Amino acid sequence: MLQDALGKRALLLGNEAIARGILEAGVSVVTTYPGTPASEIGDSISEIASKVGLYMEYSVNEMVAVEVAAGAANCGVRALTAMKHVGLNVAADMVMTLAYTGVTGGYVIVTADDPECYSSQNEQDNRFYALLANLPCLEPSDAQEAKEMTVYAVDISEKLELPVFLRTTTRVSHTRGPVIYGKLRKPNLKGDFVRDLKRLVMVPANSRPKHEVLLRQAARAKEISEESPFNMVVRNGAEIGIISSSSAFNCAVEAATLLGLDAGILKLGMTHPLPEKMIAAFLKSHNRVVVVEELEPYLEMQIKAIAKDCAPNTVIFGKMNGQYFPREGELTTRLVVNGLSKITDKKLPMDFGSIEETYGRVVKDLPSRPPILCAGCPHRASFYVIKKVGGDMAVYPDDIGCYALGIAPPFGVGDIMICMGASIGLGQGISRVTGRNTIATIGDSTFFHAGIPALINAVYNNSKMVVIVLDNLATAMTGHQPHPGTGTTGMQARTERILIEKVAEGCGVKYVRVVNPFKTKEAETVLKEALQQLGPALLVFRAPCTLMDAREKRHKGVEITPSRISEKCTNCMACIKLLGCPAITAENGTVRIDETSCSACGLCVSICPFNAIEGGCAE
Amino acid sequence: MKEFNIVLAGVGGQGTLLAAEIIGSAAVKEGLNVRVSEIHGMAQRGGAVVSNVRIGEGVYASTVLEGQADVLVGFEPLETIRNLKTASQKTTVIMNTQRIPPVELATKGTAYPTDEEVVAKIHMFTNRLIVVEAAALARKAGSRLAQNSVMLGALAAAEGFPVSAESLVEVLRELVPKKHVEVNVRAFELGRDSVRKGQKRV
Repeated sequence: MLQDALGKRALLLGNEAIARGILEAGVSVVTTYPGTPASEIGDSISEIASKVGLYMEYSVNEMVAVEVAAGAANCGVRALTAMKHVGLNVAADMVMTLAYTGVTGGYVIVTADDPECYSSQNEQDNRFYALLANLPCLEPSDAQEAKEMTVYAVDISEKLELPVFLRTTTRVSHTRGPVIYGKLRKPNLKGDFVRDLKRLVMVPANSRPKHEVLLRQAARAKEISEESPFNMVVRNGAEIGIISSSSAFNCAVEAATLLGLDAGILKLGMTHPLPEKMIAAFLKSHNRVVVVEELEPYLEMQIKAIAKDCAPNTVIFGKMNGQYFPREGELTTRLVVNGLSKITDKKLPMDFGSIEETYGRVVKDLPSRPPILCAGCPHRASFYVIKKVGGDMAVYPDDIGCYALGIAPPFGVGDIMICMGASIGLGQGISRVTGRNTIATIGDSTFFHAGIPALINAVYNNSKMVVIVLDNLATAMTGHQPHPGTGTTGMQARTERILIEKVAEGCGVKYVRVVNPFKTKEAETVLKEALQQLGPALLVFRAPCTLMDAREKRHKGVEITPSRISEKCTNCMACIKLLGCPAITAENGTVRIDETSCSACGLCVSICPFNAIEGGCAE
Repeated sequence: MKEFNIVLAGVGGQGTLLAAEIIGSAAVKEGLNVRVSEIHGMAQRGGAVVSNVRIGEGVYASTVLEGQADVLVGFEPLETIRNLKTASQKTTVIMNTQRIPPVELATKGTAYPTDEEVVAKIHMFTNRLIVVEAAALARKAGSRLAQNSVMLGALAAAEGFPVSAESLVEVLRELVPKKHVEVNVRAFELGRDSVRKGQKRV
């Protein structure tokens, strides 16, 4: 990706294409908090940042990520922040008023939305943030566009002196496609801060005029949208008009072809502000127009408003009446084919009903294979201990990370899980009004991200609860990115480790203990003690993510000897029932350890009632 | 060629993502248009994983429409069945016989379908089934972990597959860690030969 190979054609992930765009735009400060489906943007840059001479950081959360980048962008330096959709909720306070101050260096905020909630707690449509903040928004539909739009977004951001959103979805971020390389541009990290109170200090007297400035710039942005090369009629057709954006556009093109429709297609790449004149002209030239978009009827609402004034006789179809396309979930080619077929009375290209019916019969009673804690995962040991001590009577607020899988059998640890850092605050409310033992589980990265204010709140208001930080020494779920507790930065340099136990002590927590969860007896003891405290207690269950650990062992050439089942085994199934480890299986009543997946963590060795498992024992 | 659709289904950790990336890169090398789409489960390992690879000028969308797979490459029998929605009579199913029993079998007491049931289910969608003993062939090549290269080799021998074996091997050499390259190339060849011989057509 570092090659200055102008014109080279390479296969890139959407997110890698954005990273390439960062290099071609000469973006010099990149900040992020990892989150699927955005993570590979930051990760690709982290790998090369020091070589290229740009600054990259994994910020503690999305809000801080925007603050750091906005600071640089207000010194004339080009900057970009990448996050998943819900990250923008965290950053929103900053973004909404940054729209007023604006920026002097080009600044792009990438929000990667997740229709279908593949790896997320909700599927909010972040295009509404563009509408809410009055900021421009670009929506690529493939990897090539993702790269081009990154460069373009930096450019118009500088022209308008406003932050610009680049909104992707899972299918754009996580689809690979051919990308043609453009010229690299050298980053320029040298900024200059110019004192300008009227522009930068948002006291009411300054905010009011800056709001007017924002609206003026938004009007200019609309002119840019009318001329934008990313808004265009890509196909002419007489039968019907289609307006679409992002990956929905891909489905719309193929669906129209499958149905044999003579459709005109207006592709929108800049979806805020919308090119009103261009849309009005398209509406006027078609009697019937279908708006094909994923999630909310964001385009449809605005297009209908345009139509009311400019093309009142054009009939517009979409999802607002709930008839043609769903408002939830991923929009697939099949759903678009269905909707278009209903609207146009065209025959479906294949008998989906019969495929569905046969498929239903084939997968009936088929064993499922949901995501699961890895063999050797330290969270398994933690949940085993938590369940054993807390039992069915405790309440378990849970947080965002791999450990959300603790809700699954055999543990069932996880009673309420909403957003980053929420477990600690939720636990305080629950404990106060129920008086039940409340054990909140939160990951290490999540603790730094949003757990600390809530912990201070628990101390300040003397809430009785136990917080267990499941510290696996990485932001594991999103690809093992570093965080303040790891001692490594996004520049891949060493730094001072911030220890969670010290933070907790500093916040005033009286009972703080650190324990390795694989030492189950010790962990049980401290958890019992913690539950006896009158105020908040915090435990750090610390053991490295097993995948990271295995990688390190491989590097060092350390052999892993899998655990073995001895002749003492009575096939009582205790290991399976208590641990649910994917390396332990039973076929025809006989317990077996799969030697390729066993990581020799020793948890099963230490809990087997018959001492029938041999191998490295964690105790 | 209008379009060629491949669905790769397996279990996290089996190397389906890498296989899909290799096909995609090889297609780009040959000047073709391609989309490689991946969705992995929430955790890093052990969940069901599907990749879609679509090759052709008219390809825009990331995923394969119901019934439109030209080849369904199943890295594991259960996951092959789970993705049959993408198959129809035109589809060739290339399936690794190596089972990975899901944890649910033990915790919920459900049953893994028998070999006969697996074949019968696939036959409800297509009669074109090729089974590959990928575990045995990978061991023969030098490592049990090279099963994904065996399956890649088997795919390379599939009817109508638009990317040459040479390009695939070239990319495989670039993307696989150096010390595992030779084993994986051997595994690729064994997989390809096993299909070419056509002995395993069920």
